[in-house]
Amino acid sequence: MRCIGGSSFYYCQYNICLQHITMRSLVCSLLSCSVCQVPVAEGKSVQQTVDILHKKLEQLAAVKQGSFCVDCETYHATGNVSGQPTKLLYVMHNSETPLSCMALFEGGPCVIADANFDVLMVKLKSHFQNAKGHKVECRGSRYRYCDFLIKVGTVTMSSSARGISVEVEYCPCVVPGDCWNLIREFMASFLGSSVPELPSVFAAKPEGLFAPADCVDTMTQYLELFNKLRKMQIQGSNVR
Amino acid sequence: MADGVNVGVNLDAFSHAISGIQALRSSVSRVFESLKDGMKNRETLEGREKKFIAEFQDNLQAVNRDLNELERLSGLVGRPSESHPLHNSGLLSLDPVQDKTPLYSQLLQAYKWSNKLQYHAGLASSLLNQQSLKRSANQMGASAKRRPKVQPSTLVLPPQYVDDVISRIGRMFPDMTIELFRPNGTSAVLLVTLGKVLKAIVVMRSLFIDRTVVRGYNENVYNEDGKLDIWTKSQYQVFQKVTDHATTALLHYQLPQMPDVVVRSFMTWLRSYIKLFQSPCQRCGRFLADGLPPTWRDFRTLEAFHDTCRM
Repeated sequence: MRCIGGSSFYYCQYNICLQHITMRSLVCSLLSCSVCQVPVAEGKSVQQTVDILHKKLEQLAAVKQGSFCVDCETYHATGNVSGQPTKLLYVMHNSETPLSCMALFEGGPCVIADANFDVLMVKLKSHFQNAKGHKVECRGSRYRYCDFLIKVGTVTMSSSARGISVEVEYCPCVVPGDCWNLIREFMASFLGSSVPELPSVFAAKPEGLFAPADCVDTMTQYLELFNKLRKMQIQGSNVR
Repeated sequence: MADGVNVGVNLDAFSHAISGIQALRSSVSRVFESLKDGMKNRETLEGREKKFIAEFQDNLQAVNRDLNELERLSGLVGRPSESHPLHNSGLLSLDPVQDKTPLYSQLLQAYKWSNKLQYHAGLASSLLNQQSLKRSANQMGASAKRRPKVQPSTLVLPPQYVDDVISRIGRMFPDMTIELFRPNGTSAVLLVTLGKVLKAIVVMRSLFIDRTVVRGYNENVYNEDGKLDIWTKSQYQVFQKVTDHATTALLHYQLPQMPDVVVRSFMTWLRSYIKLFQSPCQRCGRFLADGLPPTWRDFRTLEAFHDTCRM
């Protein structure tokens, strides 16, 4: 197990370092991708809109390559100073990196850990309580077109479909600022008019767009999307 | 029978036999002349008849003598050699139907033509060899002593010189780092890292660039042994295309007398790929064509074009 930077704590024979833990030598891949939400088409259900997107991709000669799943569980941090809002810890899994999972505070530090981290969270239940009803999942199919990887998924929360997510990854390029125009042009070819703006996660970084991106940025984008969809439900908007 | 190559025609006896034939012909024509002339004018008839018969007998005896002489000489001449000096192609000349199958004459023409071609090719090669375009160190072998040395060979350069040239070129471009390895003997292998866009492995042979492989920034350049992997292609289509273009560039930038200029031009061309994902195509204005960004860089102007858009 290696620790890179950050502060370290000792709990029950587990050495926890904030920032990055690599328990086995997991290489964090560099990639640049954009996650956006696609609005449901007028008068159509979520499933039908997803099918329309699949058809458009297949018209572009993209090849279907299996399926993907991104999920997110929420934990409340107990033992806070009263008056401060509860800190939420999100533990996310991505089928692209099946051996690892990511734990992050919104806007705060993040940990990339082994898949056994879930077991660790069970042991930490006195400090972090699982908010069982808040598990969000995004499942769908993966397409490959030339050097692009496209994932179209349905976001479900408590087994009701909340929205559609589209992730476009341009694999050869590691700096998002370089290829943003390229990704946007590609997305316009099959998403039409609902092309998103530059993801804000890159704007928040010190070097902005021109630092190499990694899977943490992808997960942060998914988290933003899930939170947005959760908020839409809370406001009572009618999304089928 | 005189067979084989050894007993040839006896040319002396041949010429004697020819003169023997001439003698025979003249004696035969004398016989017919005397017959034509008839009896000569004499006093008595008997005298004339006797003279005529005696002349006739003399002529016939002369013919007989010449014929015997000819037979003797023809025995001395000997048979011509049985083996054809033209071997199998000479048998073609025995074909009597010359109009329909003019094989032998065509064969002779083809042979003369190929001889002329060989002669002209020899002249051309001696002229072209004065410009040393070859990449091999084997400069003509034995005939090198006869020919004067045109220029010193740029193939056998000290490794220190190669290192110096490469490091000087590396310092010229701030966003490009060049590392030099020598994994196999004296040939240098360069690992060129261009910004955060790509990594190119350039295999050299003294100061000439042999081949190049371009891979993405996040791809692995080392194989399991820890050595530079110079063979695996990139897993991304865009970098496979860039590798093809780089190979084309190697063939385009060539100057045997000044290889360091060649390396510098190639590195300048490669450096234009720093904006591989940012530049639109100069011709169609778009970023993507068939899923690929503009991968072609013009050799003179370094402008970006799609592979399908380039002129």
